Amino acid sequence: MSAAATTPVPARPKKRRGRRNLTLTIGLVVTIAFIAMAAVSFFYLPHNPNVPRIPDRLLPAGSPRYLLGTDALGRDIFSQLMVGARTSLMVGAGGALIALVIGTIAGLSAAAFGRIADETISRSADIMLSIPGMVTALVLAATIGSGTLTTILALSAFFTPSFTRVIRSAALSVLQEDFITAARLYARPTWFILLRHVLPNVAGVMIVQFTLYFAAGILTEAGLSYLGVGVTRPSISWGMMLNEAQQQVGISSPLAMWPGLSIVIVVLGLNLLGDGLRDVLDPKLARRTS
Amino acid sequence: MSVPNAIEVVDLVVGVDELSAVRGVSFAVPARGRMGLVGESGSGKSMTAMALMGLLPPGWQARGRVLHDGVDLLTLSDKALSSRRGRTISMVFQDPMSSLNPVRRVGDQIADVIHRHMGVTRRAAHAQAIDLMTQMNLPRPEQLARAFPHQISGGQKQRIMIAMALACYPQLIIADEPTTALDVTVQKQVLRLLNAATRERNSALLMITHDLPVIAAMCDTVAVMYAGRIVEHGPVQKVFRTPRHHYTRGLLDSQPTMDNIALDGSSRLHSIPGMVPPLHALPSGCAFHPRCPAATDRCRTSMPEIDATGAACWHPVPVAAPAEAAS
Amino acid sequence: MPVYIARKLAFFLLAVFAASVLIFLLIRGAGGNVAAVILGKDATAEAINALSRQYGLDRPLPVQYFDWIGNLFRGDLGRSFRTNEPVTDLVVSRLSISIPLCLSGLVLGLLIAIPAGTYSALNSDKPVGALIALLSQVGIAVPVFWAGILLSLLFGVRLGWLPTGGWTNWDSNFWGAVRSLVLPVISLGLILGASLTRYVRSAVLDVMNQDYVRTARATGMTRMQALLRVGLRNAALPIATVVGLQIAELIGGTVIIETVFSLPGLSRMILANVAAREVIVVQSTVMLIIVFVMLVNLIVDLLYGVLDPRVRLTR
Repeated sequence: MSAAATTPVPARPKKRRGRRNLTLTIGLVVTIAFIAMAAVSFFYLPHNPNVPRIPDRLLPAGSPRYLLGTDALGRDIFSQLMVGARTSLMVGAGGALIALVIGTIAGLSAAAFGRIADETISRSADIMLSIPGMVTALVLAATIGSGTLTTILALSAFFTPSFTRVIRSAALSVLQEDFITAARLYARPTWFILLRHVLPNVAGVMIVQFTLYFAAGILTEAGLSYLGVGVTRPSISWGMMLNEAQQQVGISSPLAMWPGLSIVIVVLGLNLLGDGLRDVLDPKLARRTS
Repeated sequence: MSVPNAIEVVDLVVGVDELSAVRGVSFAVPARGRMGLVGESGSGKSMTAMALMGLLPPGWQARGRVLHDGVDLLTLSDKALSSRRGRTISMVFQDPMSSLNPVRRVGDQIADVIHRHMGVTRRAAHAQAIDLMTQMNLPRPEQLARAFPHQISGGQKQRIMIAMALACYPQLIIADEPTTALDVTVQKQVLRLLNAATRERNSALLMITHDLPVIAAMCDTVAVMYAGRIVEHGPVQKVFRTPRHHYTRGLLDSQPTMDNIALDGSSRLHSIPGMVPPLHALPSGCAFHPRCPAATDRCRTSMPEIDATGAACWHPVPVAAPAEAAS
Repeated sequence: MPVYIARKLAFFLLAVFAASVLIFLLIRGAGGNVAAVILGKDATAEAINALSRQYGLDRPLPVQYFDWIGNLFRGDLGRSFRTNEPVTDLVVSRLSISIPLCLSGLVLGLLIAIPAGTYSALNSDKPVGALIALLSQVGIAVPVFWAGILLSLLFGVRLGWLPTGGWTNWDSNFWGAVRSLVLPVISLGLILGASLTRYVRSAVLDVMNQDYVRTARATGMTRMQALLRVGLRNAALPIATVVGLQIAELIGGTVIIETVFSLPGLSRMILANVAAREVIVVQSTVMLIIVFVMLVNLIVDLLYGVLDPRVRLTR
């Protein structure tokens, strides 16, 4: 034990807590704005984002009727961004959610059902981790064709092993606690212990990981759609918009700015939210990784 | 000045931001002397040691003077301090399990210190390291030197740590609870080794512990710390036989001996009521007054200094009522 | 150590086998009839049957699998359906772009992350440390292709220093080839470096708080010596693990960045084949990538054994 550990060291608590709250607040605001933008797109869009209007093509931002201007086919940029938010939300959250569900089941099983289950699940997760997500997506696109659903499937396949590992190690540390031993002494069945005691205690980890993989999912989806193997029209993706901007008018166009900025802001917001939540919900993990 | 001091500490204050863990501590360890520093966790004894070594955690500051080898250590740069650490002043830490570099062979870790400070070749340093390991009563030193820390026992690790601390014949060794993390059976051997080896090398010893019998057995003088201050200071025999500060007395009374332990509930083993105050809520006046049986208004308002009694107390324990000896 | 190596090798072989079965089944299972997929919606039943027979797709699945694997071992990746070119020939020239791109990106990422992460860890309570942490956080949120687009806007279009795309062969114009790779490598390295910085930072923070670093200082190392000789050496262990995990991510980035800069690398070939529904070519090249990733992971694992005596000597 160092002297610092035996003496309570008040390492500037005020300043750090302030930074933490700021992180959480910024993350929360950005995330809510993003979800709101996606939600509104279902009820209201300034223009139909898929209908070309050649006379209005390539208008600059701030034009009357077109807040952020139009693309090479005269489609409204802002409306496309709104529908793109919807896609990011669906694909990112969908992929992360499926991975969360499968990963939690697998991770809890690995932690609770003995060595053989653990070895099998952990090794499988290791193997899947070394298959690049991009590769999975490409294979799926080649066989069942690209599209929103394919992208969600690819993402969940990509994220599941990481979730499994995180949940497993969190569950293992919960299972070592004394109250679990007590529950076992009362001859509670394993599934009961998992549901009643372990799950609530790894819920914090689950929420944090979900947020972080939500962000990663948005990035990956944008990449796939940029390559043309992700989302296809009439769905719209920010990555797809960047691809079209680059192909139709060259990269110097301001068209390449808006979708890129949107991705950065939303992903940054979600990551900040995840980090902020981690400090609140999972202090043990926060100390290790921040 | 017939005997120069191995270290002399004057008005040492150690703190971070507004908080102070050490609040004006002064003492001296003469060359080849052996002093004990006692106190509960949080009394500031470890912080004192880290300040002497110049190894305070980030953000912590030390004020006052720490005179050693003709200089004030607190005024030295990190580089100048580094050339003394391990050479003229060295330290043995509490937890040998985590104090050795896990990816370097233990023999090399000792040899590194010798090579760094003694200006000898790597080969010579390594031979000296093996020599040193033999003196530390480590079995088969050539073989053990090639081991990594995780391959040897806790007692062996602490012997390696002591070897590293003694390697350059330092004027002063600070030992911070060197046996707390070890098995009881090993503790005594390690202490005996530390005692003998420091004497052989004419090194002074500053022993930091909450284990009073260890101090009684090894040290000439003892300083008792409470809430960042030395509350009693004097020769071991005097302090332990006739404690003048109520805190010292409480500490001695709470030592289990064969006489005062009884499992039938009639135990005469005392404990000091209350708890060590946290740094940010130190009581006014004498910091011990909320727990002190003899506290008066004066104790609540003004802080006593150490006087002729050897204790910093307005109402010292009468000499006529000796406490039970600790050893 | 021999036991450790043997274990890691065995796992590598198992992983390659499992992944190959997975890819094979995915292609055969998810896509339905491969010949029908290749020929597209309008193909007649006779044409599909003919193609199945020509490619041996009518044989039982295990036979097809071992045939495929056997050919892979002999370096035969199959033939393109449309051009009838051997895939192996196509792949080799493209690897001469993809592999340098990918590995340089990794090296650049480490060259950025190790100093930046270490510096920000050592100055974690100063503004500089917070700034580096913030930059790394932002960098993680930037899609690698957008970084590529912005960089080619600045250095290609505005300043005109470097090509914004295209490729000349190593043989015909070596420096031209290098110039073509500069921006792609920087894009990859920056983005990878941003996320690695975070891990390096936390590894160094963690290690520098360890008791053995304090011991190193107490025996006469300066702060810098303790960092370089003891701290980084120990921080290398968690960093190696993270680098291994990031390889899969890096491959994804390489695929995208080749598209951004129109580099005719392996991934562009796969993309073209995905679009053309050349299922067998995709299957083989994808397997090649997976083996590459697993190989890098194996190397990282073995490196770990060298770096950490606890792993080497006890397991």
